[in-house]
Amino acid sequence: MSFAVLAGGIMIAFGALGAGIGNGLLFSHYLDGIARQPEAQGNLFGQSMIGLGLIEAMPVISIAFGILVLFGII
Amino acid sequence: MDLTPKVKFLGMTFDVTMMIGTVVSALIVMLIVFLMTRKLTMRPSGKQNLMEYLIDFISGITGTMLEKKQASRYLSFALTTFLFILVANLLGVAVMVTASAHGPIPALGITAQGLEKAKNSLSWFKSPTSDLNVTVAMAGAIFIYSHFAGIKKSPLNYLKGYVRPYWWMLPIHLIDELSKPATHALRLWANIFAGEVLILILREAPFYFTGVPLFAWMGFSVFVGCIQAYIFTVLAMVYISQKVAGE
Repeated sequence: MSFAVLAGGIMIAFGALGAGIGNGLLFSHYLDGIARQPEAQGNLFGQSMIGLGLIEAMPVISIAFGILVLFGII
Repeated sequence: MDLTPKVKFLGMTFDVTMMIGTVVSALIVMLIVFLMTRKLTMRPSGKQNLMEYLIDFISGITGTMLEKKQASRYLSFALTTFLFILVANLLGVAVMVTASAHGPIPALGITAQGLEKAKNSLSWFKSPTSDLNVTVAMAGAIFIYSHFAGIKKSPLNYLKGYVRPYWWMLPIHLIDELSKPATHALRLWANIFAGEVLILILREAPFYFTGVPLFAWMGFSVFVGCIQAYIFTVLAMVYISQKVAGE
């Protein structure tokens, strides 16, 4: 097993870890928001989806580079 | 990973797959918008309703980011960006053409070494946004335009923006300016690229084993494609508005 495989695996794993923590925080606050004010659900859903897209960027960049390293492209 | 055919011209390397992908997406966007805006009536129905909804949606983005006068100016740009990226993202989920090459083709830049690495598969059609060069070109164009618009509006204000509120903030502003196009391009590319790679990996395994995850992931890819097109457009408008916003 080469070190590139290990490095790619670690990059993908930490990307997934970060995405899990970030999305968990986002959606826990989203649920807090609709528990406090149920009529704001529609508005909050749109906002949290935009937040999801912005949060997902960093882990997904890490995962994409992890894939490139794993398959030995860079 | 699939290889892509590349052509060398004037010392530059052109990716044939990406050129096909970009042209096809642009043509589809043109066709959609052309067909949707025929026979306009005062009482809209069907396709005209959809187009009006789309324009309303985009003008919502520009309206919240920019001033009223500038918002209508950038509406068509934002609509084009959104539709092009949306179509490009969704094309990769729906259509992926892969051919197997039997030997090296020097004219298309396919070497025996690369073929061995890619297990003889040669990609002819995939999402153009899954290539970093395409997204860097789009984000770079927006970066250059935003600075150009800022200088054109008021050169003094533009330069003052770098030393606001204190002069020692200059390095932070410079890093901020440079990281904007980088993350703008990487965000779109990484999302679409990671999605396509997972589809390719799931496609390799037997269907009875990966059928359900494949369809689940393709559904998620459609969602991600829509969200990323929206976010790219919003961020483009934010970056432009930061430069052209009045005092």
